[in-house]
Amino acid sequence: MMLQSIITQFLSGFSVVAILVIAALGLAVIFGVAGVINMAHGEFIMIGAYTAAVVGKLGGNTFIAIPVAFVVVGLLGLLIERGIIRWIYDRPLETLLATWGVGIILQTVVKLIFGPELYYVGGPKVLEGGFRLIGRLPFPWYRLFLIVMAILLLALVFVVIFKTNFGLKVRAVRRNRTMSGCLGIDTARVDMMIFVFGSGLAGIAGAILAPIKSVSTAMGFPYAVDSYMVLVLGGVGNLWGVLAGGGLIGEAETILSFIFNNVIGRLLVFLFIVIIIRVVPRGIFGYYERR
Amino acid sequence: MASLLEVKGLTTKVSGFTILNNLDFSIEENELRVLLGPNGAGKTTLICMVTGQFKPYAGSIRFAGSDITGWAPDDIFQAGISRKFQVPNLYETLSVFDNVMVSLKGRRRVFSTLFQRVNAQERDRIWEILEFIELADKANEPADALSHGERQWLELGMLIASDPKLLLLDEPTTGMTEQGKHKTAELIRKIAKSHTVLLVEHDMHIVRQIAERVTVLHQGQMLAEGPLSEVMNNETVREVYLGRGKFQ
Amino acid sequence: MPRTARTRSIHRAPLIPRWALIGGALVVALIGAYPYYGTNAYVLSLLGKFLCYAIFALSIDLIWGFTGILSLGQAVYFGIGAYFVALSLKMNYALEHPTRYGGKIPDFMEWNGLTELPGFMQPLLNTPLAVAGALIVPTLLAFLFGVITFKRHIYGVYCAVITLAEALILQDFIIEYQAYTGGFNGITDYGNYSGGPFLLFILAVTVIFFVVARALTHSRTGTVLKSIRDNDVRAEFMGYNVANYRIFVFCVSAFMAAAAGAMYAAWVGIISFLDAGPIYSIEAVIWTAVGGRGTIIGAFVGAFLVKGAEFFLSGTLAEWWQILVGGLFIFVVLVLRDGIVGTLVNWVRRRRGSLRAITEESDQKAHDLQVDWQPQGAPRPGEEVR
Repeated sequence: MMLQSIITQFLSGFSVVAILVIAALGLAVIFGVAGVINMAHGEFIMIGAYTAAVVGKLGGNTFIAIPVAFVVVGLLGLLIERGIIRWIYDRPLETLLATWGVGIILQTVVKLIFGPELYYVGGPKVLEGGFRLIGRLPFPWYRLFLIVMAILLLALVFVVIFKTNFGLKVRAVRRNRTMSGCLGIDTARVDMMIFVFGSGLAGIAGAILAPIKSVSTAMGFPYAVDSYMVLVLGGVGNLWGVLAGGGLIGEAETILSFIFNNVIGRLLVFLFIVIIIRVVPRGIFGYYERR
Repeated sequence: MASLLEVKGLTTKVSGFTILNNLDFSIEENELRVLLGPNGAGKTTLICMVTGQFKPYAGSIRFAGSDITGWAPDDIFQAGISRKFQVPNLYETLSVFDNVMVSLKGRRRVFSTLFQRVNAQERDRIWEILEFIELADKANEPADALSHGERQWLELGMLIASDPKLLLLDEPTTGMTEQGKHKTAELIRKIAKSHTVLLVEHDMHIVRQIAERVTVLHQGQMLAEGPLSEVMNNETVREVYLGRGKFQ
Repeated sequence: MPRTARTRSIHRAPLIPRWALIGGALVVALIGAYPYYGTNAYVLSLLGKFLCYAIFALSIDLIWGFTGILSLGQAVYFGIGAYFVALSLKMNYALEHPTRYGGKIPDFMEWNGLTELPGFMQPLLNTPLAVAGALIVPTLLAFLFGVITFKRHIYGVYCAVITLAEALILQDFIIEYQAYTGGFNGITDYGNYSGGPFLLFILAVTVIFFVVARALTHSRTGTVLKSIRDNDVRAEFMGYNVANYRIFVFCVSAFMAAAAGAMYAAWVGIISFLDAGPIYSIEAVIWTAVGGRGTIIGAFVGAFLVKGAEFFLSGTLAEWWQILVGGLFIFVVLVLRDGIVGTLVNWVRRRRGSLRAITEESDQKAHDLQVDWQPQGAPRPGEEVR
């Protein structure tokens, strides 16, 4: 009986995994290439969600919100990269602090514009309702949509990184920055483009995740912390890392939260991550690290 | 008599590539040995192995009678091996004086340095070293204010301060002017009078200036070893350096 | 040409330079005497709080400014120290002041259905024991953390992110287990010490911590820590066990943060999950950055300045204060990299350096002149005096 419950939790955990993957992808792309952690990542997601809210008010739905959010947050990322990040690529710890400041500013500005109340963003009508999985588990269509979107986004990033010219430059810079510079690749431009791309992905994440919980100015922070954990566990610079990190954390959290409670579940997952990175300090799929 | 450093059958694989291949290598006490070889021969890797940066795939490293294979870098330092990196590795915001001070032989453990100040004897030693490397009038400057050549000398000074049994110098004249290189070579020759030195060097002028015995590495194995003139007249060595030869 | 003795000296500031001694004494006097000349009770309470913040910022300066470890979760240690003391005081207060239902347990426990003190919390009734726990438990936790992460060379961005998660989890725990912690509302209404004597106590502890920190960083240990911050690879290959040093300074920092938290709880009379969470941790990092990393006194300056500004400005500015704070983060990273004290110190050094260069030059000239100068009629070298 318990086993069946765990199995159903495992299956419903797939949507949690999907959420983690969607949220972490933008951050992974930036951190993997440029080595900077964007502490405003949560706020980027939040702005994507608010974009979806605005689109919804104007009569659109999630499908329209996705590209709009990509553009809006992508432009925001461009602004921040040019204004702040590009001066501090060589100081990753300080990028943490500067982007945290950006996050505070973004939160406050959004609160000033939209007010402190919660917004409710609905999913597209076609995705309302659900079906039943394994007899009794209700599975909303939107959850299935999340899983599908996670796969699509992974595929999108894969295509961009591995099948485009831009992606070729990105991979060259990641493997050997100095050499790429010598070969004529404009590394500063690549950093900028990848930051914009990653920001746009965060915006998409916000638009997709908006219907799940209510939209508020502080909604982004938990997603951001989860994204960092996904990267720490899964390893940076590798798309498999996002999948592995998201998969392990998502499933572990779902099952453990079911057995104990939410808070203990998160604690156990945290301990689990700490134990694993003791063995693989740069994450499961992180590149080989010399001692 | 056992050699000071004895490497046997050392094999290293990094990312699937075999860099050192069953290498046998040894240095006697008080030698000044120069390590030669084309790029990729494994010279820096050998130094990395000896100082504990990587664990070898196979083989052993013995130093002063102890087996140090797989030891941690700080333990290998305590055993008496100091290393100079190819790119000068200094403490950028610390003054020249402090860079040398913190490298002085002795007190390394947390509780032995607690609240300690530099005593007069140590201070004299530091000034001695600073004058040896001719940086005494820049003692108060932070390390990142020095020129490239001065940075190389500072790192040499730090190594001297650590008073090791074996000094591993990885291309200490990189990026220096002609004058600087000669001065560095003289410094090294003086250091070698009282220490064992393994020097990796590319510039043949420098090598000719100070080398006694020379070892040539190629593709992770020892190609030739002996007095400089002998080695340089070796057919295979000439072919390898001129790029045509392939070591069997 | 013989060198003057001056070339063999290095510029070493004394343990406590004169300006610091005078300035420090002034500040201590100002703060310590406030209960006797001051009239505003709110300012009095702020002074005590700010002193605790200063110690907390100092703890961050030690690990970040001097050793290069950015921890975004230092409030974990502050918070645990605070909660130990607050719980102890609250539980004792509840014994003296039973609630309207007659219970002798803290109100939040009653609200959550408890009828008597949980067994594992009984030891906290003993306040001295609670204080000891407030200091020891966080330090042990820091030791554990250090051994787990630093021994495996996990530092930099990874360490920062893990400490952030740690603080978030503690915060969640506190909110979730409200029967034992007061949850969202925190712990309030207990017998706190908010008078002049306790302020003097906090002040004394602050001074002691700052002097000890200065002595530590002014010694060889401080130089070693800075060398680890600047180039940990070089330090390791020069024989230093980098992990041990990091663990050591991390434990010292946690101890300080815990002490600050304990005194804070005793002084303020209200603590909540916010005092143990990531936002407070990151705030304190900014105070240190504003004051000046790696300067010891910068921690004090930064904490007082930023929190003081908040006191004066956040009322009138409301939301815009947050935007200012965010801008401060960016400003401190892009522009004022050495903080206020750091920039001042650099400026003074440069002026003194150029002054010294000028005086050395003129000294040298005078020496040369003396060597060449011969009085009229004096015998030239080699000449006999007749």
